[in-house]
Amino acid sequence: MNWIGMWTLTKREVGRFFSVYRQTVLPGLITTTLYILIFGFTLEKRISEIEGIPYTLFILPGLMMMNTLTNASSNSSSSMLQMKLLQQLPDILTAPLSSFEISMAYIIGGTVRGFVNGVLVLLLGILLVGMPIVSPIQTLGFLLVVSWAFSSMGLFLGQMADSWDELAMMQNFFLTPLSFLGGIFYSIQMLPDWAQTLSFINPIYYMINGIRFTVLGVSDSPPLVSFLMAVGMTLLFTFSAVLLMKSGKKIKS
Amino acid sequence: MTAPAIRFTDLEKSYNGTHALKGVSLDINDGQFFGLLGPNGAGKTTTINILSGLVLKDKGKAEVFGRDTVNEYRFTRSNIGIAAQELPQDWFFPVEKLLFFQAGYYGLTHKTAEPYIEKLLKRLGLASKRNARLRELSGGMKRRYQLAKALVHDPKIVILDEPTAGVDVEFRHDMWKLFKELHNEGKTILLTTHYIEEAEMLCEDVAIIDEGKIIAQGKPNELTKQSEKSGITIQLTGWNESIHNKFNLYTYTFEDNRLHFTVKDPEESLPEIINILSQNGCHIQNIKTDKITLEDVFLSLTGRGIGEESGT
Repeated sequence: MNWIGMWTLTKREVGRFFSVYRQTVLPGLITTTLYILIFGFTLEKRISEIEGIPYTLFILPGLMMMNTLTNASSNSSSSMLQMKLLQQLPDILTAPLSSFEISMAYIIGGTVRGFVNGVLVLLLGILLVGMPIVSPIQTLGFLLVVSWAFSSMGLFLGQMADSWDELAMMQNFFLTPLSFLGGIFYSIQMLPDWAQTLSFINPIYYMINGIRFTVLGVSDSPPLVSFLMAVGMTLLFTFSAVLLMKSGKKIKS
Repeated sequence: MTAPAIRFTDLEKSYNGTHALKGVSLDINDGQFFGLLGPNGAGKTTTINILSGLVLKDKGKAEVFGRDTVNEYRFTRSNIGIAAQELPQDWFFPVEKLLFFQAGYYGLTHKTAEPYIEKLLKRLGLASKRNARLRELSGGMKRRYQLAKALVHDPKIVILDEPTAGVDVEFRHDMWKLFKELHNEGKTILLTTHYIEEAEMLCEDVAIIDEGKIIAQGKPNELTKQSEKSGITIQLTGWNESIHNKFNLYTYTFEDNRLHFTVKDPEESLPEIINILSQNGCHIQNIKTDKITLEDVFLSLTGRGIGEESGT
């Protein structure tokens, strides 16, 4: 293993998003603050509690999860595409780094961004509305696993993409709608039967309910299913991203 | 017998139906300054990218000091430094930081790399630009950065892919001086270029590649000696495209008001050439007959100038 090489690329990946924190860290915090303000001070009075939990608190874990998975996936996908388009990728591909080491560095970079963003939203929730956390360790662990899963997915997509348009399509047409439909703002028990059934095939539904369970102790899906789903996605996307890197498809001629 | 620094054996590569390399075989010895000459699209960059791992070959073998570039890529890549033709961009980090990253990819810690990077920045005139972003550098400075990046892990083999493309003459001469110094320090250098003068000035051995095949190889003076032809260079004004037809029987190039013929006997050809030019309204400013150059060798082998696109 080229540990120093992998560590260097990881440092670069993490340093890259911290150097533009106004694009990569602050937006999630601002959006979440707006949600808390809008729902906390206006709509919450008109919406009854869900599963005995005030509405603002109910949506916070989902917002945390959306922030985590979009940041994790966009970090590795945009970094990979950017390196391809700016002719930086050859520096890495011609170095004595294996496909596994390169993949791990990108995935860790995205995981750190996803995790940091998730934790900041968590802190914001504690600070602004005194959000209680039922299982802090499980919350952080689940955030970490989901960050890894979506960072790996981002790396896969970044390798496959040829343009920013393709990446934006993935974000706008899949990740964001699936997050909203995954039950950030509602419990699926409020939906008609057919919509509940549809929710079961949405992987983000399990991520949102998993984090809601660790934070608030309530969940639409069984916690074990959410956990297994997150681990399954982590394994699937990690293997896919590493194998794609090894094949050289779209990054080598 | 020790293995050559670089060995290509029957390399073949096709892209989207184009046969870019058609069985390239080459040996480059340790410590040699070797030039791979050819027009754009001839297969130079594909050849070196197979060595570095950026291009996946279809057939054949590439070796560095006798070790396979696919199976033993950690060894081979650690021994190679590449100054790529494409200039990179980076929006996030300054020059010095980027060099530390590059050293890190090769397994060097910050502490180990620090003195060498400091030396490199000074040697390549980049010390004052250490905190600059790449976008703030001129084209020439970016080329220097490319070279610094190639040298940051002190490789035994340095690959220079069109290292002076698009830079001014003064800068080119500075870079040549640097390349010579690197060679004198014992590094094996593989230079790809379509500047004949660059190859003649620097290389001990050259190979000429065209349409994915090596069509000639040897020391520059041997290659020129093998040819029984000479060059005529005419500086002129008033050239127009219609004159091309009048020189159908000649092998020549025209660039920057400079007409260069490759002929067997200058004394026999010159009167007719002057006659055609005069009749077609050209004003001759200077005529020079000279010994054959690598450009003439290339012209006589391919029937095209090296500045023209390859047929692949």
